[in-house]
Amino acid sequence: MTALMNPDEFRAALENAIKGRSANKSPFSIAWATGKLSRAHLSRWAENHYHYVGPFADYLGYVYGRMPAKYQEAKDFLLANMYEEEIGGDRHTDLLIRFAEACGTTRARVQDENNMSATTRALQSWCYAVAMREDPIVAVAGLVVGLESQVPSIYRRQTPTLREKYGFTDEEVEFFDLHIVSDEIHGERGYQIVLEHANTPELQQRCLKICEVGAEMRLLYTTALYRDYVEKDLSLQELDLAA
Amino acid sequence: MITVQFRKGDEVFSEELPENTNLVVRTGIKKFPWPHLRYGCGMGKCGKCACQVLDGAAALPEPNWKEKKVLEGRLDEGLRLACQLWLQHDVTLTQDGVSVTPPKP
Repeated sequence: MTALMNPDEFRAALENAIKGRSANKSPFSIAWATGKLSRAHLSRWAENHYHYVGPFADYLGYVYGRMPAKYQEAKDFLLANMYEEEIGGDRHTDLLIRFAEACGTTRARVQDENNMSATTRALQSWCYAVAMREDPIVAVAGLVVGLESQVPSIYRRQTPTLREKYGFTDEEVEFFDLHIVSDEIHGERGYQIVLEHANTPELQQRCLKICEVGAEMRLLYTTALYRDYVEKDLSLQELDLAA
Repeated sequence: MITVQFRKGDEVFSEELPENTNLVVRTGIKKFPWPHLRYGCGMGKCGKCACQVLDGAAALPEPNWKEKKVLEGRLDEGLRLACQLWLQHDVTLTQDGVSVTPPKP
């Protein structure tokens, strides 16, 4: 039987669970990082990304409602996270739409759920399922540690590229900048909650598993973005990725 | 490691921190300079995290577009937005007497 890990061991295990399935080496991420996407490709990304991250406060709302009252600090964190996503400053999705408009698409197209791919719909549905059905601590592990905490490292790489290679202005890419601060806070608070409350071997293993699955879902989503929107214009050979 | 000092009234709070530290991120996760540092939106809009830099200003990066917009002429007073700073060098800060009203959008 697996033993209970101490907080340092458990944190390292969570980080490894996420790292092993990073989407950073997917064709879409490589095309983005090397400046090879067109503004039309980035428009399609924004039209999909909106439906993945847009309901984040909704996902957390379900977790909040099911989090035991005795975990008051965890509940307060979820509430603060929801507030910051929606009304703490500019609404985060409004900044995503600003970027989308700079790419050439429209607010209406971004908000129209008919413009997301089947895979994006699957990722969104997975997030809802985790929020509604999993143990709330496991849900925090999946949604906050597994997904949200990864955002700063992704955007820290992508934001300079958007300015330098794609020629966007500072205001146009503010969506990416703000997540470097807010998601650092959210991700770290998520770790604190999971490390404190996943207090049995069984719960720790479920947290690790959901981080792995979350990373797989994100990789699936990113891979589909390439297949659905980019592959016809940009082959794997052109990305130096052909086997 | 860098040394960050935060002055509040007659008190001085100080801690060694890793380079590339953001004080709003740290406060958000309840580490130094929590609970002393005020902050709000964390996105360079509300101005609540504005600090006066008492020492170490020369080593800070140039103000970014958000700081220029929110602090307008007050950069000359030595004010900076903590949420926009990733610290690489020793610095001494205070929020005593600092109040910033951001421009209307």
